[in-house]
Amino acid sequence: MPKAANYRANSVIYFQGDVISDKIYILQSGQVVVNYTDIETGKDLREVIQTGEFFGVKSALGKYPREENAVVVSDAQVLIFTVPEFEQFVSANTRIILKMLRVFSNQLRRIHKQVENLMEKSEALSPEIGLFRTGEYYLKNRMYSQAKYVFSRYLTYYPAGKLADAASKNLETSESCMVKFGDGKGPSPSVAGPPAGTLSAHPGAGAAPAKPADTLRPQAGQALSDTAKEYYNAVSLFSQEKYKEALGEFKRIVEANQDPEYVVKAAFDMGRSVFMLGQFDAAIAHFTRMVQTYPKHPDLADILYYLGQSYAKKGDVERAKGFFRKILTMEKDEDNSTFLRAKKALRGLEEAQNG
Amino acid sequence: MADLSAFTRFARTYQAGEIIFSEYEPGDSFYLIQSGKVRIAKIVGDIEKTIDVLQPPEIFGEMAILEGTPRSATAVAVDTVRVLEFNRANFEVLMMGNPQIALRLLKLFTKRIYDQKRRFMILTLEDPQARVADVFLMLDETQAAATAGAEQDGEKREFKVTIEDVAHWGGMGASEVQTILGHFANQRRVELYPDRVVVRNISDFSRFVNSRRKK
Repeated sequence: MPKAANYRANSVIYFQGDVISDKIYILQSGQVVVNYTDIETGKDLREVIQTGEFFGVKSALGKYPREENAVVVSDAQVLIFTVPEFEQFVSANTRIILKMLRVFSNQLRRIHKQVENLMEKSEALSPEIGLFRTGEYYLKNRMYSQAKYVFSRYLTYYPAGKLADAASKNLETSESCMVKFGDGKGPSPSVAGPPAGTLSAHPGAGAAPAKPADTLRPQAGQALSDTAKEYYNAVSLFSQEKYKEALGEFKRIVEANQDPEYVVKAAFDMGRSVFMLGQFDAAIAHFTRMVQTYPKHPDLADILYYLGQSYAKKGDVERAKGFFRKILTMEKDEDNSTFLRAKKALRGLEEAQNG
Repeated sequence: MADLSAFTRFARTYQAGEIIFSEYEPGDSFYLIQSGKVRIAKIVGDIEKTIDVLQPPEIFGEMAILEGTPRSATAVAVDTVRVLEFNRANFEVLMMGNPQIALRLLKLFTKRIYDQKRRFMILTLEDPQARVADVFLMLDETQAAATAGAEQDGEKREFKVTIEDVAHWGGMGASEVQTILGHFANQRRVELYPDRVVVRNISDFSRFVNSRRKK
């Protein structure tokens, strides 16, 4: 049974961020407002709860923290429901659920739009191109019946679309491969792509609203160079504490000298691997060479940090302190993790000396 | 389960492997599974990723309630699947007679609203490193909700995600995410494995993201 409760003016029924959010309220008399921060504008918004209206529904049903403060403006009486009590109550009053569905779907529509606006700036594909790409994926992977479905949908929605010719070719290929080989079988089919130039030359010329051509750029994952892949494999070995293997990989990248960006990174990580293996003299030699070779290395502070640590491990406290101090004078951003680590290391050394 | 015999005219049957709808296709109907299993998948990078496998009496395609938005994933029949297909025009009739289904849809909406809001919070972070960190915070919140009450292993968290997943949620390119994760690995804040990412100290990420969020 839902319980009745009385709240005095200026009291708070629940706070934004409350993790225990398993109750749903209905206002019977008095005045309650909910206030919250609009996530888009950052403005504080305020909504007056009508008599007979539910509040606290979303967070209770969705099991997430409260998103608003429910504040009593003038002495109020409310009914408090647990989630099962609420479910039972509205099940007998389906119109209430329908009304809430309408409110929630409007909210969902609004937030979805906001997210889309942000995505547009970053990565979203237009639905037309996305649909075509989905078909391409299935065809490439010899999933002919799926490819057939997607390309025929493409032609239904975009009969005069920029990719319509390619789509109908691919549809034919899917059908004939399906007959000839059966789903999942046969050689890799040749997949018709968008005709060259048609997408970049005239945005807006197609039947559907066109997006700039850069939405067609290949998936970024494929754009990684081989060196980059090798580098991240090595980083992954390092993070698994397989320093010896990692060192070997980093060294190979440096020696192959292919992609300057990753060669520089790998050179730094070679030193770190040597350090982690406990070879402090070798680490000092390596990092010292690096400072000479790359005086403007983006991770210079980190290089100095490892130099400091290597000296500290060898017991050369004064030199170690010198490197840490140098970092503190270089880094302006006091939240920078190297800055913080250097500060901590320096304090550690000083305390050890004084204590 | 509710009595749905009055709705047989909305029934559809799909064979194993058949697509019910494709990602990016405009959609105006949603589905209630009556029998069989439905796989929800998305093509991310160069792999098809299964997001979920649904069975009776679950609902899918409910985002069709949003006018004109393309499907965000593909629905494929795993075995012989029977569904009831509804759209904006006839769903009120269904809901009126079946409060349990209406309630299930209501809960689904509360979850979607929260997911989208959370996504919005991630996307409004300007610092790409903070975005990546916030994706993990979001995943942690979702995992915490799913395993409420279970013991957590201190500050360390393990996530079964790939770089493409993180890129998708953060609205970023995969190579950018890879660079940032590599950087975090260098700082020993994360450990990278082919099938998962381990965050060494989730509170550290939380402090970092909060310091980057505009007040």
